[in-house]
Amino acid sequence: MSLEILSIFEKGIWFGFAALGFAVLFNVPQRALFIIWLIGAAGGLTKLLLMHYHTDIVISSFAGATLVGILSVSAAHNKHAPPLVFSIPAVIPMVPGAFAYRMMLGLIKLSGTAVTSETYSLTLGETASNGLKTLFILMALAVGVAIPMLISRKETIKKIRHKSDADGG
Amino acid sequence: MLLDVGTLLMSNGASTGRVRTTVNRIAEALGYEAELLITSRSLMLTVTEENGSDYTSSVRRTPAHGVNFKLVSGISRMSWRVIEENLTVEQINEDIIRLTSLPHYPRLVVLTLVALAGASFCRLFGGEGFEMIIAFIATFFGLFIRQEAIKKRFNPYIAVVFASFSASMISGLSVKFGFGTNPEYALATSVLFLIPGVPFINSLTDLMDGNTLNGIVRGVNGLIIAFAIALGLMFAMQIYGI
Repeated sequence: MSLEILSIFEKGIWFGFAALGFAVLFNVPQRALFIIWLIGAAGGLTKLLLMHYHTDIVISSFAGATLVGILSVSAAHNKHAPPLVFSIPAVIPMVPGAFAYRMMLGLIKLSGTAVTSETYSLTLGETASNGLKTLFILMALAVGVAIPMLISRKETIKKIRHKSDADGG
Repeated sequence: MLLDVGTLLMSNGASTGRVRTTVNRIAEALGYEAELLITSRSLMLTVTEENGSDYTSSVRRTPAHGVNFKLVSGISRMSWRVIEENLTVEQINEDIIRLTSLPHYPRLVVLTLVALAGASFCRLFGGEGFEMIIAFIATFFGLFIRQEAIKKRFNPYIAVVFASFSASMISGLSVKFGFGTNPEYALATSVLFLIPGVPFINSLTDLMDGNTLNGIVRGVNGLIIAFAIALGLMFAMQIYGI
């Protein structure tokens, strides 16, 4: 039990490194790198811990992505960079690559000659299940990370109005 | 100048809403009113003086899309400084030139850290030490090929196919010869560095913001990249007969 939790935290570290790799690929400012590592790890841990306590993978991904979105917005205020600089690298490690890969394998199998009439429906079922999981997790990630940004953008616009009013007056 | 700001933001991975807010912010601070038509490949701008006495319009083509968050974040900071410190147009122009010439991370650092990200992905999907090393090597060379292809001005989607093909050719070797316990993990994760995260997330932000057309354009762009990844991976798998 505690060993499992430990391995979840170990994976959190790897989530952080995956986020860091994408951060460098997208050329984010240096001052944001460590924060991105932290946000990526926090989001990944949320997802894994929820899954550990038997939450559905789609919901867990959504929760992880929402946390990433919220943390990115507050990091954006502290570090003076737009929130998407933090949120995009941090959310990418949660992309369900394994499901997408299995779906593709299934599609290749279904379109090839190797499949017989007995195994066809089994393969079709597996492929559809993997594909739908991929699709829904991706949607959960994108929506989860976008919602905090959209809510906070309204606040920024308000601030601008106040500021320009104050300047004018 | 405002067109410079807008096109730079658009081509480096900012969402449509952000382009509009930032350009308006700068224009307002300088005492003008700006109206924008934003599409993915061009930008149209009309600037009116606040008392309505003079106006001017102009269109600019947006350069090919790449992601550079240092630029996005730099321009965003600059736009605040325009309000707070009353920068002049010359100062803003200087700042744009400074921001566009900011160095990227050294190539070796990028390659190593992205390869490390590939290895991390592999660990997350349940791979162990050996598979992680394979994923590291495959990602390293895949990204190298992609950078080279972009340098040689190949079509960006073709560059993705090349990268995904070469990465999966390397990681596919271990599957073909059955090295390690779960070699498929290395194969599946070695192409993940190519996933179009920025187009997809910006697409969704645009769609929810009401910029439906730009959202659809970005989404289709992301889908083509995803298809290109799958194509490269499939070529490699057919060659190895996996």
